[in-house]
Amino acid sequence: MFAIASMNGLVIGVIYALTALGVSLVVGIMNVVNFAHGEFYILAGYFSFLFANALGMPIIAAMGLAVALVFVFGLLVEYTLIRPTYGDDMYSLILTFILSIVLQNAYLFIFGPYPNKPPGWIKGATNIFDLFFYGNQRMAALVAGIAVIVVVFAMIKLTWFGRIIRAASQDRGMAELNGVNTTRLNMLSFGLGCALAAAAGVILAPVFPVTPTAGVPVALTAFVVVVLGGMGSMWGCIIGGLILGLVENLGAAYLSTGYKHVFGFVILIMVLAIRPSGLFGRKEA
Amino acid sequence: MRRICCFLVLAFAIACMATGPAWASDTIKVGVVGPRTGGAAATGKAFEEGIQLATDYVNANGGVLGKKIEIVFEDTAGAPDKAASGFERLATRDKVVMVLGESHSSAALAEIEVANRLKVPFMVVEAWADPITAKNYRYVFRAGPSNSGVVKSTIAQWVAAEKFKKVAIVAENTDWGLGIAELCKTALDAAGVENQSLVTERKSQDHYMELTKIKSFDPDAVLAFVYGTGLHYFVAQAGEVGLTPKAVILDGAGPPSLWPDFWPNVGDYGNLECFVSSMHEKVELTPLATEFRKSYVKAFGKNPTDYKSRSMFDAILIAADAINRAGSVDAEKLVDALEKTELTVTRGTARFGTEKGGPEYHHWMPPMLVIQWQDKEQVVLFPAEGATGKLKR
Amino acid sequence: MTISLGESRLKSTPKILLCLAGLAVFALLPWTMGVYNQHVLIVCLFYTMMAASWNLLAGYTGQVSFGHAAFAGIGAYVSGILVVKAGLNPWGGVVIGTLCAAAFGFLVGLLCLRMGGIYLSLTTLGFSEILHIVINNEYEITRGTMGLQVPGLIENYSKIAYFYIFLAGALITLAVVYRLVHSNAGLNFRAVQNDERAASALGVDVVRTRLLAFTVSSALAGMAGALYGHYMLLITPHLPSLDQQFLVLSMTVIGGLGSFVGPVIGAFSLEILSEYIRAWGEYHVLVFGLVALFVARFAPKGIVGIYKAWRGKYRAATA
Repeated sequence: MFAIASMNGLVIGVIYALTALGVSLVVGIMNVVNFAHGEFYILAGYFSFLFANALGMPIIAAMGLAVALVFVFGLLVEYTLIRPTYGDDMYSLILTFILSIVLQNAYLFIFGPYPNKPPGWIKGATNIFDLFFYGNQRMAALVAGIAVIVVVFAMIKLTWFGRIIRAASQDRGMAELNGVNTTRLNMLSFGLGCALAAAAGVILAPVFPVTPTAGVPVALTAFVVVVLGGMGSMWGCIIGGLILGLVENLGAAYLSTGYKHVFGFVILIMVLAIRPSGLFGRKEA
Repeated sequence: MRRICCFLVLAFAIACMATGPAWASDTIKVGVVGPRTGGAAATGKAFEEGIQLATDYVNANGGVLGKKIEIVFEDTAGAPDKAASGFERLATRDKVVMVLGESHSSAALAEIEVANRLKVPFMVVEAWADPITAKNYRYVFRAGPSNSGVVKSTIAQWVAAEKFKKVAIVAENTDWGLGIAELCKTALDAAGVENQSLVTERKSQDHYMELTKIKSFDPDAVLAFVYGTGLHYFVAQAGEVGLTPKAVILDGAGPPSLWPDFWPNVGDYGNLECFVSSMHEKVELTPLATEFRKSYVKAFGKNPTDYKSRSMFDAILIAADAINRAGSVDAEKLVDALEKTELTVTRGTARFGTEKGGPEYHHWMPPMLVIQWQDKEQVVLFPAEGATGKLKR
Repeated sequence: MTISLGESRLKSTPKILLCLAGLAVFALLPWTMGVYNQHVLIVCLFYTMMAASWNLLAGYTGQVSFGHAAFAGIGAYVSGILVVKAGLNPWGGVVIGTLCAAAFGFLVGLLCLRMGGIYLSLTTLGFSEILHIVINNEYEITRGTMGLQVPGLIENYSKIAYFYIFLAGALITLAVVYRLVHSNAGLNFRAVQNDERAASALGVDVVRTRLLAFTVSSALAGMAGALYGHYMLLITPHLPSLDQQFLVLSMTVIGGLGSFVGPVIGAFSLEILSEYIRAWGEYHVLVFGLVALFVARFAPKGIVGIYKAWRGKYRAATA
């Protein structure tokens, strides 16, 4: 029991971290909480389903195209909805909250109420150390998730764009004075945040098929992870995701399956009561 | 700003016009309540299909009282408060003579209070909670399964017939899941079958921990009362952790196992899964059932999957028959006519119980089947007289 | 009820008279309409209470709470459970439910004191989710998604009587909000919203101000929820849900966040609009959301803001 609970906790934790990464990035750079994050995730799931199943594209191409399209959609949303809200973090929160409801119902209208699942990459399950069986698709998702996280970290640490991102999330004004076009930076980073949601969506849709309202729990856990780790802290995001995954699974194993999702929220509130800026957040946040 | 203002006024005006007073018409209106949005919108879709086929059928066969039947479908979103006000709207604004439908017990329980207060006959179609008819309201009928009916006459007997020794019960944390799980537990305890129950969260996507707990209990069968996508996750993940095929899973609701996305979602792990259903592609109890399937294929270009479309079809036929026999749309006469219903519909002959005291009052329990997927073929396991094969594991 | 736009105090007697006359006309309205429209009016009044009290928090102190529907749920469930299990009088239930919501509001407010804007929003969101799951799981007490059936506030069910109860509730809510906003505390509210540090430097007790707003707003939500439960005769987890929170938020934003009459206008126009577009079946939530999004994006000050801008232009043109 303990073995599979820890294993599943780690896998789900990485998945949580992956979905939260986009939220964290956008919060760090723009101080905008994208409430519709889960709906971008779902959109990518639908796109990859559509391209792979209806148009018969190879799954990798379908995934890539889905992420690219969601990235473009994210840019559009930034341009039309988010841009006028800069400086007023509550306004953007309210707008994206409404946007999430609009998107959920648009999906219902377009894709119908049934769950949709893009084709899996591999079948079956593997016997782990003779202790338990674990789904292969989940492990593939774990590997892909870690790969995406590594790429994002490398981009932020190593590239020119990453340097700008780091600069802007530390001190916007200073970055601007140094010639950073913050309008374009905002647009790009919002798009990037959406693309990260999309990456999570295409990786996870074969494990958890998408429905119009399935984005809500995804976004909620992403928010818990981000607050737990500290707003805008990338490392906090990873640690927060792993903690949440482990707590939920061990809690389900030893305390109660019905209250699985409460454990995360309780931990969140406890952490915030003691350290309001989260585990890795900056003090003044 | 001014332009926006104008736009808003215009939008309001259009909205008002689009839904203005209904023209006096030569139709008789019957209301339908059900979830068209929200998590169970698939049921609304099934209801819509049933409505379309039933109105065509009724109107092609003389209509009601010489007029055409018209259905007004009100969305409840599966929420009891929306359901109650939706019911009220149908009765007071649309002036329907009768209301049918519902698939959420919680919504139905709110609606029966309104039906009773406004004295509007209400025929529940797919809400299973016992109290709906156990309250013995004069205006409330049920032409569909109830929790205790399904457990007593189908699930418990099937468990006994297959001689399962150890049974695990999994329920989502809704009224339906928890309620039917409790009835099952009582029935299994009485039959001396070792059992264990577990609650899972409805919104949960990951069931690995629940499944691991069940696996360590090592049951012969798992009775899963999880609705919608949750069931697909559950079945697929049960295969991954190796709970199945050693244990068989019974989907206690049915439709999710027949949804078009069932196979893509669960893959090979769907094989040997069992489910409760009132419809089977080969076992058709009445000629009307065959006719229903044919007209369904003609209208929608595919075979009927979600049996709730056929339940709605039956309900509308029963309602039209009662209106015709009552010879009026007066609520008292309609109730009297419904009590005397003796109509052969797709699922058999509908008769409502008239004995007060229990959930059997004003209730017609259509026969339910236990069906197993065997290599993507539906094989009826239970009841024995309809069986087309044996349980495979 | 729509006479005194904006934050200006009711100074002149004619304005007050006009206001009272409007109120009197409104109070007589249900006698002229059918049962169904009476129901719509009652629901409008419920949302007026919810939106006005949320506005006190979000509009005046800048604390965008996502737990407002949850506090309504606390009021409703506490009252309902006490009435059903302990045989309390429903009116007593409403009072205790309101006090419980106030107590929870105080505690959550205390927890959120040290947090900045977004942290507060997400914490209240977490609180609301916890409450939702607890209500679903503890179905032996709360009856879960089935809903808790509760007795009504009055012996003989009558829409008109409920209309007056809700009207009284809405007036109490508006009066409390008005008093608070137009007192010293109200000035502090806005000072806290604009710049917390500056406010505290000027001697505003930030902690007290924020806590006060949180407690009062939660109590008002609790009262609204308890009344609503005893009106619908059924309390379900849908009351403390994000969908409900979405409605309250949209109404306030569309009416005008941070203005006194904004939430009233928003509650009435959106509830009536949603009655009209309900006929569009599964698309009505989509249409509703699009309208909300459109207004929130292009007229962030809501209907009140549009009106003010229009009046400003008109005055400039005639002057």
